[in-house]
Amino acid sequence: MNKSFLTKIFFLTVLLLLSTVGFAAIDIYDFDDSELAARFQKLTYELRCPKCQNQNLADSNSTLSLDLKQIVYEKLKAGESDRQILDFMKQRYGEFILFKPEMSQSNAFLWAGPVIFLVLFLIFFLRWYLNNREVNDE
Amino acid sequence: MKSNSQVLKSVISLSVFVVFVVIFYFLIGQDKTELPSQLIDRPAPVFKVSDLLQEDLIHTQEDFKGKITLLNVWASWCPSCYSEHPFWKNYAENKDIVLVGLNYRDKKQKALKFLREQGNYYDWNLFDQNGRLGIEFGVYGAPETFLIDPKGKVRYRHVGVVSPEVYQNIFLPLIDKIKKGF
Repeated sequence: MNKSFLTKIFFLTVLLLLSTVGFAAIDIYDFDDSELAARFQKLTYELRCPKCQNQNLADSNSTLSLDLKQIVYEKLKAGESDRQILDFMKQRYGEFILFKPEMSQSNAFLWAGPVIFLVLFLIFFLRWYLNNREVNDE
Repeated sequence: MKSNSQVLKSVISLSVFVVFVVIFYFLIGQDKTELPSQLIDRPAPVFKVSDLLQEDLIHTQEDFKGKITLLNVWASWCPSCYSEHPFWKNYAENKDIVLVGLNYRDKKQKALKFLREQGNYYDWNLFDQNGRLGIEFGVYGAPETFLIDPKGKVRYRHVGVVSPEVYQNIFLPLIDKIKKGF
């Protein structure tokens, strides 16, 4: 084994050891009910942090995310439905806060895109196929 | 026949290309990190928050009614707020508007120190210690500035520093429009 290989192994080990810190975050949201805990996890995964826009609430520790997580927690405890909680967030921060966007005028093209491309493909394929068959029949 | 379909093919591929160019052209220069406010042309959220300087004085959304209000979200922990703050001295000279501060997620002592040292140009200040009022307004950072019309409706939200250019080019035309009754 050469030296650079050992160095690599060493750094990878250090990185691996450091990464456990990420898992060690203490869960301060205390649920007696495992169903509520699961819903909390799902909601904080589906909601985006408006401040740090490529993270969800679950992964983000920005002050705003902590506040929003606290609101999700309080609302779950108060018996609100997932829909109500998502609507609360949407009313304040817009649809952007949902990681799974809903269909709207502005993104209809994206939703329709695959269908449009499939139809175009079928049209071209059929034309090509019919043209080729004629050639073969001759 | 053959050349006809070839022409068709190139016309279609060209138009697909042109469509994409047009779409991307309009996407250029858009700041995707700036979120549009959900409150535009809607009434300001319902709230009950105490005054920063006078704890027993309670403000509600009703306090915005009858006047044009600029609501500036600030905090002593917000670096851009320090560079924005001196401008408010000039904007406060515009007697047609009420200048309200929303002290966002701050410690009272630090907020008061900010006003002492940087100057207090606000007509009054909301003390939003736990950030809940900010969330009602859809605030995601400081500074942010909301323009509220005399009916209590939010007309505009600016994210970031309100520089003299922003004030001149965005806020003043909107304020004029509101004054004309729109």
